[in-house]
Amino acid sequence: MRIDTASDTPIFHQIASAIREAVAAGVYRPGDTIPSIRATALQLLVNPNTVARAYDVLEREGLISAERGVGMVVSHRTEDAARARTVQDIQTGFGSAIQAGRRAGLDRKRIDILYRQSWSATPKPPLSQEEKP
Amino acid sequence: MTSLAAPTPATAASPPAGTDAAIQTIGLVKRFGARTAVDGLDLTIARGSTYGLIGLNGAGKSTAIRMMMGLLAPTSGRILIDSLAMSAERTTLMGRIGYVPDRPTAYPWMRVSEVIAFSSALRPTWDDARAASMLSGYQLDPRQRIRKLSKGQGAKLSLLLALAHDPSILILDEPTDGLDPIARDDFLEHVLSSVCDKPRTVLMSSHNLGDLQRIADTIGILDAGKLVVQKPTDELLATTKRFVAVLADPGKSPAAPPGTICTRKQGREWTVTVLGSPESALAALRAEPGITQVELVDITLEDIFKDIIRGRQAQQEILP
Repeated sequence: MRIDTASDTPIFHQIASAIREAVAAGVYRPGDTIPSIRATALQLLVNPNTVARAYDVLEREGLISAERGVGMVVSHRTEDAARARTVQDIQTGFGSAIQAGRRAGLDRKRIDILYRQSWSATPKPPLSQEEKP
Repeated sequence: MTSLAAPTPATAASPPAGTDAAIQTIGLVKRFGARTAVDGLDLTIARGSTYGLIGLNGAGKSTAIRMMMGLLAPTSGRILIDSLAMSAERTTLMGRIGYVPDRPTAYPWMRVSEVIAFSSALRPTWDDARAASMLSGYQLDPRQRIRKLSKGQGAKLSLLLALAHDPSILILDEPTDGLDPIARDDFLEHVLSSVCDKPRTVLMSSHNLGDLQRIADTIGILDAGKLVVQKPTDELLATTKRFVAVLADPGKSPAAPPGTICTRKQGREWTVTVLGSPESALAALRAEPGITQVELVDITLEDIFKDIIRGRQAQQEILP
């Protein structure tokens, strides 16, 4: 997991998205424990309150739940929910890219080409190398 | 909306004042001869929050912090720690505060163990077991001479000395200044770890705004001894936006939208940073006939800080 302070997406949002993506990708499976607030705060060097806020969001979505003496556990049948949220995130990202393109006067054909170029140019995410708790 | 010209820290967005504040300064002023270093500072640091204090060199950060530590007497104004007056209750309050000064106070000829023994004698609530466990956790050699310590080790020793009595408030004055990136991460990890162990209020001044953006939940910006912004970090980032507009006529500057803190023009490109309500600023820019297109660009805490300071320096504040 990594965060980007050059982006103006709030950090708790970035952490929540990263965990959603990790669940959608099967890095954390139902029943798995996700890293503790402390471990995540120290790994990312962010305020533990920020991590707690991200975990709160995920708990309210039903993606994770607190289990006594274990920590935060990925709920069962949440992979679909995580994937749905990730799809939403992707749509938002595409939406703003398309808007930027329209503002610059690019037509759909040009944007399609740009998308394909980006797809080829983007390396696969190193999710499988993520540290597990 | 936060006003830049007349700071009003008591807005709804500010941390709550009164009993929930761990640190509060009221009309704090410090003059050195004709120079006013701290000029009517009203700072509120909520209990359990991590407060990032930023400002240029000479903005008054260290002077304000030294007054909060009771090391420097204010010219006027008050300092309340846990609602107690620093001026009257300094001995009690010192047991609750840990302090990492901006320059090391340790003596170069002493060994680490001697500095620890020396400091423990000064603090009635010092916890020897805690200090010993931190010493090994921080990987410090007790026999090492202070002058032989690396900068990173020196910073960790300062942190140990600040935390060994398990204070509820931790004040750090540019603690990572001059540290290499690895030593800086190591130091911040220990600070965060101490906050994970026990809820603590942290006040940290720093020039490393990337670090503060990750760690601080509230940001205070000092300029020329005055607090010009005090807001939750997320809110500051959400309400400060930079727009890049393209001008129809590069010779004409359009009217700045409400909340503008800084503008810059390069040919046809006109960059505007606004604080407050980005939606109404965008609407104003779109309605401006001299502007052919507007784009919103990402902005970091460092950009926000620079634009606020540059805007003030250029005396371009449009805010009341």
